[in-house]
Amino acid sequence: MALLDLISEDIIKVPLVSTSKSEVIKELIQVLKDAGKIEDTAKAYEAVMKREDMGSTGLEKGIAVPHAKTDQVKTLTIAIGVAPSGVEFNAIDGEKSKIFFLILAPPDQSGPHIEALADIARITRSEAFCRLLNASKSAKEVVDMFCEE
Amino acid sequence: MDGPVRKILVYIDGTEQSITAAQYAICLSKATGAELTALYVVNVRALNDLVKAKIFIETEQAEYQRDLHADAERYLNHVKNLARGKGVVIETESKSGTPYMEIKNTIIERKIDLLIIGELSRIRSRRDEFFNEAERAMRNAPCSVLIVKDEDRVWDIFEGLV
Repeated sequence: MALLDLISEDIIKVPLVSTSKSEVIKELIQVLKDAGKIEDTAKAYEAVMKREDMGSTGLEKGIAVPHAKTDQVKTLTIAIGVAPSGVEFNAIDGEKSKIFFLILAPPDQSGPHIEALADIARITRSEAFCRLLNASKSAKEVVDMFCEE
Repeated sequence: MDGPVRKILVYIDGTEQSITAAQYAICLSKATGAELTALYVVNVRALNDLVKAKIFIETEQAEYQRDLHADAERYLNHVKNLARGKGVVIETESKSGTPYMEIKNTIIERKIDLLIIGELSRIRSRRDEFFNEAERAMRNAPCSVLIVKDEDRVWDIFEGLV
């Protein structure tokens, strides 16, 4: 499954309004609920935070990829958020995180889950792409950027 | 046996499209008498990318690797049962590595003359062209490649196979 097949305007929030790690995760989970992708936000949040407790998914250069396996989704599900001012996410380089990819996968779909994460890892290697993403003003701009990438 | 197709390889990646490809391969094997092999490749390259990018921690890597091997076994068993149900002999093989490379290697090792793959997902970005494993397999295979489309028609053919 191509990453682009998972991306649509209704699962993207630009800009995020949250200012803390837990709030960002809750906000992105709410985006998925509003898009009709999940029912129980509390269980999804619990699964993501359980993974964060094992080690932050805040990477270098302002990228964070919170993810978890949960039976709250039937297929691989993604939400994207951009916080231009940055949020403290305990990232490995100590910098604030600005671009968030939240991924929820059913427990029995590890293959697609890994491929989507690997896709994100490849895309975010491009500093130019991340800069453009961080400067985006709308969900549509984000979708267009992924299509052009 | 003689004929244009003697050894078929069908690539299984867990998608519905690859299962449809397996059904078509079973029909083709039955019709032509060609030997049939199903291959699943655990995508270690993607897993390594995630560790390198520090998205996965060590315990996660081990857990997902186990999951992927279990997936391989589950899907290959499913395909084996589909073939058995139609009286077709099928060999299954699971490998680890970069899928398109392992598909190519298997074609050479087993002297395959036809690779069957499921319908390719729509190319929506330049990146897809570079990283879609089935697409890369199709371009790199040293034998003829058949892409199976029209799931409903294949299902009818498969169901009608006695």
